[in-house]
Amino acid sequence: MASLDNMLAGMRILAVDDLVESRSAMKKMLVILGAGNVDVAMDGDEAAEFILNNDYDLVISDYNLGRGRDGQQILEEARFTHRLKATSTFVMLTGENAMDMVMGAIEYEPDDYVTKPFTIDVMRQRLTRILSVKGLIRPINESIDLQTKTKTIQLCDEFIKQYPRLELRVKRIKSRTLINMKSYNDALKLFDSILNEREINWAMLGKATCLFHLKKYNDAKKLVEYTIEQHPNYVQCYDLLSKINIKQKDLIAAQNALVRAIQVSPKQVLRQMELGRIAFANLDFEVAEGAFKQSVKLARHSCYRSVKNYLLFAKSLQHKITPKNNRDTRISSGEAFKALDEAKTLYKHNPEYIYDATIIESTTFSNLGKEIDAKAVANKAEAMLAKLTQPTCAHQLALARAFIDTKQHAKAQDLLAIINARKDLSRSEQRDLEHTRNEINEHVVRTYTTEINDKAIEFFEQGQLARAIELFDKATAYKEAGLTVLLNAIQAKITFMDQSEATLEMVSEVGEHLDKVGSLPEIDERHGRWLILIKSYERIKRSV
Amino acid sequence: MTFNSTTLLSSQLHDIKNEMQAILSLQDELAELLTELPEQATILTNISKHSESLNQRLVELLSVLKIQNTSFAPNENENWLIDTITPIVNDQKRLKQFAVIPEFDLEFNQFYDEQLVAIALNNIFGNAHQAGATEARVKVEEFNDGHWLIEIVDNGPGFKPEQLLKGEFNPQGTASGLGLYLIQQAIKTHKRNGNYGSITLENHSNGGAMIKLVFP
Repeated sequence: MASLDNMLAGMRILAVDDLVESRSAMKKMLVILGAGNVDVAMDGDEAAEFILNNDYDLVISDYNLGRGRDGQQILEEARFTHRLKATSTFVMLTGENAMDMVMGAIEYEPDDYVTKPFTIDVMRQRLTRILSVKGLIRPINESIDLQTKTKTIQLCDEFIKQYPRLELRVKRIKSRTLINMKSYNDALKLFDSILNEREINWAMLGKATCLFHLKKYNDAKKLVEYTIEQHPNYVQCYDLLSKINIKQKDLIAAQNALVRAIQVSPKQVLRQMELGRIAFANLDFEVAEGAFKQSVKLARHSCYRSVKNYLLFAKSLQHKITPKNNRDTRISSGEAFKALDEAKTLYKHNPEYIYDATIIESTTFSNLGKEIDAKAVANKAEAMLAKLTQPTCAHQLALARAFIDTKQHAKAQDLLAIINARKDLSRSEQRDLEHTRNEINEHVVRTYTTEINDKAIEFFEQGQLARAIELFDKATAYKEAGLTVLLNAIQAKITFMDQSEATLEMVSEVGEHLDKVGSLPEIDERHGRWLILIKSYERIKRSV
Repeated sequence: MTFNSTTLLSSQLHDIKNEMQAILSLQDELAELLTELPEQATILTNISKHSESLNQRLVELLSVLKIQNTSFAPNENENWLIDTITPIVNDQKRLKQFAVIPEFDLEFNQFYDEQLVAIALNNIFGNAHQAGATEARVKVEEFNDGHWLIEIVDNGPGFKPEQLLKGEFNPQGTASGLGLYLIQQAIKTHKRNGNYGSITLENHSNGGAMIKLVFP
C-alpha cells in the first residue's frame, strides 16, 4: 500500500464538523497524517457551498451536524450534482445509531465510515485503506464519471477476477451500474449470487429494487418488509416500500411507509416532498402540510429547491384557512402568503411559476372570505394567463376554479369551453375538467346564464342585435337557462328578423325556444309577453 | 416527572463521546509537539493510559447498551482485520508493553462489526496481560462453507481447569472489565444464514491460553 502521507499530500480535503474543537482537531489530525490542503466547514450549508466552489479529492464529514444539513445530505447533494466525482472519497464519521442510516444506501453511500470516538491510529488505518482501495479501482470510478456504463461493467468484471478481496465492493458498483442501465434481470442475478453467501442489507434492497422494476410487486414487497424487519433503521427500504404500495394502489400504506422513514431520518428533502405529495393526494392535509413545510425548509439552500415545495406547502395550508379570524387561520394564511411571496421572489423570471403562485394567492383570499381581494387577484392571474406562451390545461383549469371561487361564473364557463375544445387533454385532465364542470351546479349555471342575459340585454338595448343573439344563444345552450332568458332570446331573434331578414334556421331556433318554454299559465306575469311572442313567431313563420 | 433513564443515558453518552473524541485528538496533537521533550512525553503517555482505558470502557458501555437493545443488529460490514487490529496492537505496545503479533494475511478481509470485534480483542489482550502474558499471536482461518475464525494464543499460564469447564460466562464483570461474558456477547451477535458466532477456550499445547472467535 502507498504511504498515507504521500497520498494525502497532493489532495484537496474538506473536513466538516459542527463542534469547533472537533473541527480544529480533525484538521490538525489530517495535517499530522500528511495533508497539506485542508478546508474546514462548520455546518452542512457551508460544506455544500465549499463543495460547489471547489474540487475536493477527500471529504470527511461528521454525520450529525446540528440544525442544518447532515452528513448524508452533503454526500447526496455532492454526488447528485456531480460536484463530487466517483473518484473522490467521502468518509463519514458516525455515532453507532447513525450507522444504519448512513450505510447501505444503494445510490449514495459513503466510501467508508469511522465510528466515534476514534484515535489518530484508527483514522490513519482507515484512510490508508480506503484511499488505497480507491486508488486501485480508480479506472472503474473514472469510467463512472464519464458515464461509460458498458465499460464500467467490463472493468468491474476484470477487477473481480484480478482482486478477489475487493470482489464485494466491486460487485456493489457493478450492481448499481446495472440498475442505472435498467438491466434489472442481470442485476437480480448478481444480487442473488451475493445473497447466497450472506444477507447483506444493500443487496437485499437492491434485489427488491430489481423485482420492483420487473413489476413483481408482491415479491419485492415481501423482501423489502423482511429487510426492514432485519434493519429497522435502513430508511431507503421504506422509500421502496412506499413506491410498491403506490403501484399496488394503496396510497395510505405508501404514506405510512414514508412516515416511518421520516421518524428515523427526518432530513431527507426528496422523501419529505414525496410524503407531502402522497398525503396531499390522500387528503391528509395535516401530514402534507408538515412534510411540505420541512421540504421548503430543508431545500431552501440546496440543489433540491423547487417551486413546487412552496406552492404545495401553501396549498396544503388551505384546509386551516377559514373566514373566521381565529389563530389557526391567522398563522396558516400568514405562512401561505409568506411561502408564495418567497416563491415569487425566487422564481421571478418564470411567468408560469408566478402565475401558479397568484392562483393560490386568490384561493387563500377566497378561503379567508376576502372576496374582493380574491377576485382582484384572480383577474390578475387572468391577465398573466393571457401572456403565457403555451398555457397548459392545468393552468386554465386552475384559473377556471379561481373564477368559480370568486363567483365569476361567466368567465369560468368561457374558460371551461376553451379547455373542452382543446385536443391535447389527457385522461386525467379530462377527469379534472369534468370534475370542475360538476362544481358548477344548477344554481351556479342559472346565475351564469343570468349574467350573460344581462349583458345581452345591454347589447339589445343598444341596438346591437347580432351580438345580443350571440350571447342569448350561449345562455340558452344550457338546459338550466331560465324562462326569462328564453323569452329574451326569442324576442331578440324576432326583432332581428323583423328588422333584417327572416331565415328558416332562425325561425326554427325560435320554435325550439318556444318548445322549451312550453305553456305559461295566465297567473305567470310573463304570460302576456309570451302570447305576443307566439303571435309574432307565427307571423314570421308564415311569411317565410 | 422523572427522566427517562434510557433517553438520559444515550444523550449523556453522546456528549461524553464527543468530549472523549476531543481529548483523544488533543492528546495526539500534544504527542506530536512533545516528540523532542521525552520527560513531558512520558507524562503524556501516562495520561494517555488513563484516557484510552476510559475510552475503551466508554465504548464497552455503549456496546453493552447496544447489544441489550432488542432491536440491535450488529453493523457487519466488510473490514480488513489488519485495520481493526493495528491500532490495538499499537496501544497494547505503547501503554502496556504487551506485544500483539498478527500472523495472518494482511489483505484478509471479512464481514464483522468492527467495534464489537475491537472490544473482544481488547478484552482478550487485557486479560492475557493481567494473567502475566507478555505477548499474543493472532491467526485467522477461513472455511469452505464461509465461516471463519480468529485464533488468539498468548504466552501466559493458560486457563484454569474450572474456567475451561464453565460453558457460560458471568455478566457481573471483573476488575479488568466485563471480560469473557462481553467477548462472548460481542461475537454471538454475528449472524449468517441462521447461524450465530461463538467463542471457544482452550489451552495451547505450548501452555498459553487459546481463544477462538468463531464467525458464522
